[in-house]
Amino acid sequence: MSPSEQAPRQDARVSTGVPGLDAVLGGGLITSGVYIVVGEPGAGKTLFANQLCYHQGRTGVRCLYVTLLAESHARMLANMRDMAFFDPALLPDGVYYVSGFRTLEEQGLPGLLELLRREVRNHNANILVLDGLVQAQEAAGSSRDFKKFIHELQVSAGLSRFTALMLTSSNGPTVHPEYTMVDGILELRERTLGVRSWRELQVRKFRGGATMGGVHTFRISNAGLEVFPRLEARMRRGPPPEPSTQRVHFGIPSMDVLFPGGLAAGSTSLILGPPGSGKTLMGSSLLAEGLRQGESCLYMGFYESPERLLHKVAAAGMDMSGAVKEGRMHLLWQPPAECILDVLADQLLSTVRKHKVSRVFVDGLPAMSQAAPDPSRMPSFFAALTQELRSSSATTIFSLETPRLFGPVLDVPLEPGPSAVAENLFFLRHVELEGRLRRLLTIFKLRDTDYDPSIREFVISRQGIEVQPPFEVALDTLLTGLARHRSGGHP
Amino acid sequence: METVLVVDDEQGILEALADLLREEGYRVLTASHGREALARMSELRPDLVLTDWMMPVMDGPALIKHIRTEPEWKGVSLLGMSAVDVAALRAEYPGVPFLQKPFDIPALMKQVRKALDGKRAL
Repeated sequence: MSPSEQAPRQDARVSTGVPGLDAVLGGGLITSGVYIVVGEPGAGKTLFANQLCYHQGRTGVRCLYVTLLAESHARMLANMRDMAFFDPALLPDGVYYVSGFRTLEEQGLPGLLELLRREVRNHNANILVLDGLVQAQEAAGSSRDFKKFIHELQVSAGLSRFTALMLTSSNGPTVHPEYTMVDGILELRERTLGVRSWRELQVRKFRGGATMGGVHTFRISNAGLEVFPRLEARMRRGPPPEPSTQRVHFGIPSMDVLFPGGLAAGSTSLILGPPGSGKTLMGSSLLAEGLRQGESCLYMGFYESPERLLHKVAAAGMDMSGAVKEGRMHLLWQPPAECILDVLADQLLSTVRKHKVSRVFVDGLPAMSQAAPDPSRMPSFFAALTQELRSSSATTIFSLETPRLFGPVLDVPLEPGPSAVAENLFFLRHVELEGRLRRLLTIFKLRDTDYDPSIREFVISRQGIEVQPPFEVALDTLLTGLARHRSGGHP
Repeated sequence: METVLVVDDEQGILEALADLLREEGYRVLTASHGREALARMSELRPDLVLTDWMMPVMDGPALIKHIRTEPEWKGVSLLGMSAVDVAALRAEYPGVPFLQKPFDIPALMKQVRKALDGKRAL
């Protein structure tokens, strides 16, 4: 039996060439499958199909692109010229464009089907794109005729071993009942909330393989489409790793003495506090200590540029610039405007894995949270993120700014709640005391280790952070920021 | 009146080119692929065939090869047009002038006149 006579492997896949999409599809499209890509005009369907064709064309696969009253081929190619995937050398042998409009107009769906079969055969194509399925649907005399067309195309795809993509605009119901006959349905859409818009991909149906469920963000750039699989959908399954017996410290003697056992390596901590309370320096201290131990560390920030951060920590006695040059201190800086949540998670996790980072400080958890248009996603996202970080054995600190400088109410602007994110909670606070604004540290919770829960003042100097002994005078309501002597009145 | 046969599978382009050429005073025939073009040529011999490259049923290269090898079409001028990089096509098909799609109208008319002038000079 010659190779061409062998039955195709059931698990043979067609790579889409779209970063992230093959992972969502469980390895790519299934060979000889017929797929519908549905989306409103401008959703990226044509770009997606072309990206797939040029990707396949580069591997020697021949692709046939049939349009039905879409933009002209010349205009389509002109639009593709600036895309990184476009390669004019693949035209016309690797990627071949024809119009089926006139055939459809004059001969209806039977004529179009005949044209598709003949052209696939003539060009020895393994990929067929039919751009403008909605035109075929409109040309069908009835729903039954349209179903028959899809069925016969499926039969041809199986016999001639080509994989077909049919692109259609969504007018009315997103997925028509007739579409459910095909092997898979991919939906592309653009959503808008206020002035912000973002693109989403969802696999609505996929025969023959498990896919990542739910909605995944994608973006379009000169590289084409890039899909960012939802972190929660691709996280490792299984129980979280057991807490490590290894312990880590902040390297601040007066603070480490509050919990001599240290933090469990691989644990997650949250530092809560209002602006200016010292969160960045405290989190950076954990990294500075890691650098002193010869470890690889990562700072991810949204507000302080790398230069400004290095200057700030240097002023508090932590010179990290040498470690940056050595490649042990990694700085990820992302302005908080319109980030894609899964891109942030990818940057963070890939840096941790690539450089075997053992200590991570994410300075500004709300900025990460704001990258998600849908806040209801955050509990599962943070659960997945912390699970992945724990699995990488990275000890992680997140800082979270509380909005009130003073007052009896503690606002925690985090959807899942702090305990859902972190095993260890540190709370920083400003307090007005004896005519001076002071900084306070309280440990709310530490898992698997004893700690001193007393409220301590700490100072920041050129030597770094120093935690003071407990207050000698009896004070109440310290954590409101408005301290009082127990005897009443202001101290 | 000189006759131009326009061959293109994209209906919008076919109709637009036909209208333009008629306005310029040419008799225009149309076909949406090479095989249909040969049928049209059998009915009325054109002076010039202006053909697209990528088409269903019979593509531009096959149509040109057929015209060139059939003695009855000797003397018919050829002009290719394609969204494919025509520099490579010019190298592959010497003697056939090509228009790179998208082209502007003056460039098209200039090429059409040039091709027909060349035919008249023969």
